[in-house]
Amino acid sequence: MPSALLRYCAVAAVVASCLSCATGPSASRVAGNAVQVAAPPVAAAPVSLPNRDGSLKFVVFGDFGTGERGQYELANQMAVLHQTFPFEMVATAGDNIYGSDRPQDFQRKFETPYKPLLDAGVKFYASLGNHDSREQRYYKLFNMDGKLYYSFKAPEQDVRFIALESTYLVPEQIEWLEETLKSAKEDWKIVYCHHPLYSSGGRHGSDLTLRAALEPLFIKYGVSVVFGGHDHIYERMKPQGGIQYFLTGSGGALRKGDYRRGQPFSERIVADQQVFLAAEIFKDEMVFNAISRTGEVVDSGVIARRQGD
Amino acid sequence: MLVWLGHSGGGPPIAPIATAPGPVRGTLLASSADVDVGRLLLNRWVLTAAVCAVVATFVRADTQKPAQTPPTSPSAATAQAQARENRNAPELAEFKMRVAEYVALHEKLESTLPKLPKEGTPEQIDRHQRALGTLIGSSRQMAKQGDVFTQSAQVFIRALLKRLFVNVDHVKLRNTIQDENPWFVQVKVNGRYPDRVPLASMPPDVLKALPPLPEELEYRFVGDSLILLDVHAHIVVDLVPRALPA
Repeated sequence: MPSALLRYCAVAAVVASCLSCATGPSASRVAGNAVQVAAPPVAAAPVSLPNRDGSLKFVVFGDFGTGERGQYELANQMAVLHQTFPFEMVATAGDNIYGSDRPQDFQRKFETPYKPLLDAGVKFYASLGNHDSREQRYYKLFNMDGKLYYSFKAPEQDVRFIALESTYLVPEQIEWLEETLKSAKEDWKIVYCHHPLYSSGGRHGSDLTLRAALEPLFIKYGVSVVFGGHDHIYERMKPQGGIQYFLTGSGGALRKGDYRRGQPFSERIVADQQVFLAAEIFKDEMVFNAISRTGEVVDSGVIARRQGD
Repeated sequence: MLVWLGHSGGGPPIAPIATAPGPVRGTLLASSADVDVGRLLLNRWVLTAAVCAVVATFVRADTQKPAQTPPTSPSAATAQAQARENRNAPELAEFKMRVAEYVALHEKLESTLPKLPKEGTPEQIDRHQRALGTLIGSSRQMAKQGDVFTQSAQVFIRALLKRLFVNVDHVKLRNTIQDENPWFVQVKVNGRYPDRVPLASMPPDVLKALPPLPEELEYRFVGDSLILLDVHAHIVVDLVPRALPA
């Protein structure tokens, strides 16, 4: 076989293998505007959330404040989950209130759909998206303490959450982030913000300027997990620089089938229905379930935290 | 180090083509038993090259490996020095003074309103924002474009952004700025930033280069204009038309 042929075959094989790994077998296939959902995979049983005493149980989702049916149905699934898996907090990846944010909008797009959770004492910790008014930081139920970016420790567990304001990454915020990461003594450092450093989303995709600014700090200071939104799909990346990235942008809004196939960083995409992520941290492990609007576990797994960098 | 312990729901990984040459070749040969082997190889070579070309077009440019270290290279240091120089340029002195005057007015008017608590209700937030916008609008009835962004500041900022787009990876910069940048929206001085219009992201490199602003104000792009947004009152303070390089 000529050497040129061998080279071409090798390149084709590598590229094709990247493509085949990227989306997972159950991802939607797009033909024009039509969405064809592939047959469900022959999968192993989902990894169950252990629901241990003393673990940190939380939920993450973004791009939700539409006030529409999809948001309400997903919120119902959260309420159902909360009955058996009593998560204590929610981290939001921005775009909390789409469109106008008059008092009635807060009601329809946030307080009503999540009333069962709010009544049960679940605390929401918001980050802001590009559709959010900056003044949402003063909204009591978003627990932002009047700040555009902030960090907080989990109630009892050794976990620090850091919420960033990714549409306006001023030098002061980057300095604050470095100081916060450097001084954080917790085993787990989890960052969330609206814009994704990695995304196969067709509308936006990876934010490369953000990646260039933030990723070196995440790697240097031992961040284990990063959540983003902005693209209205669910995606789990292959670990990048030792960090597990999630895209949780279908918490209410959804762009069916809107993703680019074949991104080499991509591991699993769900783009045919709204999804939220439920997670549980106990000691050095985080178990997660991505749960759809219909209550199906569409992705799951276990992540080990990064050790003492 | 993060260790991936396992997952499910994604099904077993699909075997890459390179690991499954047997069945592919077998099928091809079986269905083409009487075809000349040389021609077959040539056809496969052409087919592979074509597949490669098509597939490559779907693989986007953002496949770079994660950066391992913060930017400490000489070029990064030069860029930082340039950013500092930009921020301190004499052409911006008047602009900074106008910003300070605006913020003084903002603070004075905001102090006449009930203080917004850190744990406010939607009603309190909305009332505060609109009341402040009205007060500022009344106090700046005669405000016009160019009052804060002085002529020399506008020229300087346009040139600064132009230089930035040459020196930094302009594709990345442009992609970030253009992402949901509201091109078909008209904004005017003292006007409320439209409720239904998202805010265009400001790349860190751009914010690093522009003169810093107090907490009350932010730079944003609307189309190719750079606006000064009062974030407490949600109003447009001033703008630089045609700021974004073509």
